[in-house]
Amino acid sequence: MAKAAIADRSVKEFEEKQEWWWAAEKKRSSRLDYLRKAIWKKGAIGGLYAPGVKTDLERAVLQTQKARELEFSPDPYVIKFAKMLAHVLDNKSIFITDHAQLVGYTGSLPHTIAWDPSCASILNEEVYNDPTAIPDPAEKSQQIIRDVNNYWIGKSDLDKMMPIFDMEDLMKMLSGSIGWGVPLARGGYSSKDYEYIMTGKRAFQAIIDELSQKIDEADEQTHAPGATPDTTRMYDKINNWEAMKITLEAGIRIAKRYARLAGIMAEHFEEDTIRREELLKIAETCERVPAYPPRTLQESLQYDIFIQMMSRTEAIEGAWPSRPDYYHGPYYNKDVNIDKSLTKEEAIDLLGEFLIRAAEVCQFKPKWSREGLQGIDGTWVWTIGGVDKDGRDACNDMTIALMQAARLVRVANPTFGFRWHPKVKDEVMREIFECLRQGLGYPNLRHDPILIANTMHWYGHPIEEARLWCNQACLSPCPPTKHGFQPMRMANATANCAKIIEYVMTNGYDPVVNMQVGAETGDVTSFKNFEEFFEAWEKQMKTIFSILVRAVNRARTLAPNLTPRPYLSALSERSIESGMDTLTPSLERGNAWITAFTWVENIDSLAAVKKLVFEDKKYTMAELKNAIDKNWEGYEQMRLDFVRNAPKWGNDDNYVDDIMVRCLKAAAKFSKELKCPSGNNWPILPENVSGNIHYANIVGALPNGRRLGDALYDGGISPGPGLDKKGPTAVLKSCGKINHITDGRAFLLNQRLSPSQLAGEKGYQLWKAYMRTWADLELDHIQFNVVDDSTLRAAQKDPEKYQEVIVRVAGYSAHFVDISRKTQDNIIQRTVQGLG
Amino acid sequence: MKCIECGHDAPLANFRYLYNARIDASISIRQCTNCEEWLAVDELKGIVTQKITQGDAPWGKSAGIEGLAAD
Repeated sequence: MAKAAIADRSVKEFEEKQEWWWAAEKKRSSRLDYLRKAIWKKGAIGGLYAPGVKTDLERAVLQTQKARELEFSPDPYVIKFAKMLAHVLDNKSIFITDHAQLVGYTGSLPHTIAWDPSCASILNEEVYNDPTAIPDPAEKSQQIIRDVNNYWIGKSDLDKMMPIFDMEDLMKMLSGSIGWGVPLARGGYSSKDYEYIMTGKRAFQAIIDELSQKIDEADEQTHAPGATPDTTRMYDKINNWEAMKITLEAGIRIAKRYARLAGIMAEHFEEDTIRREELLKIAETCERVPAYPPRTLQESLQYDIFIQMMSRTEAIEGAWPSRPDYYHGPYYNKDVNIDKSLTKEEAIDLLGEFLIRAAEVCQFKPKWSREGLQGIDGTWVWTIGGVDKDGRDACNDMTIALMQAARLVRVANPTFGFRWHPKVKDEVMREIFECLRQGLGYPNLRHDPILIANTMHWYGHPIEEARLWCNQACLSPCPPTKHGFQPMRMANATANCAKIIEYVMTNGYDPVVNMQVGAETGDVTSFKNFEEFFEAWEKQMKTIFSILVRAVNRARTLAPNLTPRPYLSALSERSIESGMDTLTPSLERGNAWITAFTWVENIDSLAAVKKLVFEDKKYTMAELKNAIDKNWEGYEQMRLDFVRNAPKWGNDDNYVDDIMVRCLKAAAKFSKELKCPSGNNWPILPENVSGNIHYANIVGALPNGRRLGDALYDGGISPGPGLDKKGPTAVLKSCGKINHITDGRAFLLNQRLSPSQLAGEKGYQLWKAYMRTWADLELDHIQFNVVDDSTLRAAQKDPEKYQEVIVRVAGYSAHFVDISRKTQDNIIQRTVQGLG
Repeated sequence: MKCIECGHDAPLANFRYLYNARIDASISIRQCTNCEEWLAVDELKGIVTQKITQGDAPWGKSAGIEGLAAD
């Protein structure tokens, strides 16, 4: 919209037309407006990076330079790795954005995407083969990339690990048919020991002092008279402690570089007196954190940003576990309510900028990953609300301020997961509702009592720790505690579950990638009854889950030695105490889960086969197999029969709901037979991100009436789009038949509501009543899209005018114009539920 | 089936199947292999109903309270 047209219209006018993005632009401060518009769009549009966004070669060159220098050094790998990390932090270019109060970015310039060349050669090849993101001049850049890539062949993490994996499993995973990525300790979702580093008790310098003391004591011990196995192990511990120390010292140094830059800008270049003061404040802040614990909200937020930036220098982080209101809330309260050193508006400016700093973060990811997370770089699902370790309501003023800031800056990432519990106050619920009504698609709602019980059930976390949970990725609660936090959930433990039912039909042979991936369960036409069919389904389910879990278990076992994480270890009490890398499985209770993409296709397919083939005998199995082998081509009437005349999940129909429960219980039982290296369970967590689109051309035709190419259902336990015809309560009732504590880890549920129905106080009361039903039925999750068809169709037609429309895709939100046409259509076809 | 853009005439199966945005409707999106136009196709009748351009919704509105798709 033209600038003048925005200026001429009032906030009220925009709000009445539900053009929330223009209203937000008018309501936010000039600083926030500038910073919001200064963000480079980093989330891939469909699967490609936006024009102008370029791969950052600086970091890759620095890391390679240091690796070459250290190649013949006698240092153990963990020390070499720490030195590489320190070299990058000491030498990378830094910048401070105009009007910013917070600093720190993963790349060397605002439009760059950080590239870590030490993770995997196959990733490096993608950098070389993605011409749209190669910086100009292209020829020179390609030469640099070639040089970097050539160095890391055979030396990257994955290259080192591949030869010692089970090759058959690896080939099945790399085929892309059943899994999602590769098992790497530096590529996935790292939870953190926030209770150790975010409670104000210590910061980097105190940890360095403790490490020095540990090293001195160990040194003394190893040189004292006597020699035992403990003495021998002490040498490894010293190396680990040394490596941790190197990374923390580098962390302090880069913060001081920011302090120096801010100081120089203030004293030599800035003419505006107010901005000069702000720059001096940045300098003071970066002198303080991360070396010492924060004293103010600004210092606390800056501390968090430094921690995250450094973690994203050490590893490719696909998620951002965080509980900002819980850990920063006390500083907000002190500055705004007690000391009154900040006005509420100033605090919201800081929080809005905090969201913006997170929104701009990006690391180079392979195209399959970008397609599965269209519009964003990773799932930054920040956890807010909930209870404290004693079970008291943990919502605070910052919980509310964060949601207000989110409505002003309207970024699609980070989003919030709100931990609902019975003591949440109405004023907080109204803020959540306002975010939803204004079309953000977040917060999603999480049932805190159920998830605390679930966390205790699956892993045995004590209640005081379970109560502290925050999302490790989109939906999986993890206690950020000494033995509770899981340092890495490898992304490849993600199953493309639609393949389970597909392989039942094909005897385990994958017609899309042309290889035997699943189990040989026999010719499907020979099955005499549904029980035989279901038995084959169970076997395929177990086979796929086992392939993925075996690989992760192997990688997690190898990781402490082959791919250590000295920086993450330095932030972890258990590693400081033990001298062992934080990835060492014996140090944690375990918090593993299998993400179950494309799950509900199994349920609707099983129900259709049971009803139309085995019970009604309307079709033979041979006829069904024939139609599916032909991708339903020429069998449209029969396909429609399988869609329309078989029971569908989400309609409170016990026929199909019982099948859902049976499948989940079978998976849950098997989850306890699968064990992670910490000895704990592998429950499943049905959700999709945008994997339902990525897998559309990988999953063949299915008995639920889907063809190769069609988007899969939008995920979790959400009914098939348009197939939940009995209204919103029926959806909740179906989902309520699942035991959300013992049947799996968490269950994503998408719902779409009408914006016109949610207008005004009546809209709030309708939604609140609906949420009461949700809570009473003890569902662990729900999230909403509140955008009408006409807005979404208009955005498809004229994307320039609707750049800021946000939708909830699956476990995350994205700007509608950044997702592919197929994903857009998939969202539009979701049922719009009427409340009341 | 005949492409309404370029007139290309071929059996329905020879038009590239892209996706079916409503699984419970018989309307799908296919691509003409001659002119590459995206087409809405009635799968039961085997005819092209319209070209697909940005913002078009050949399967009607979303399911639910805002009106079920006509199929």
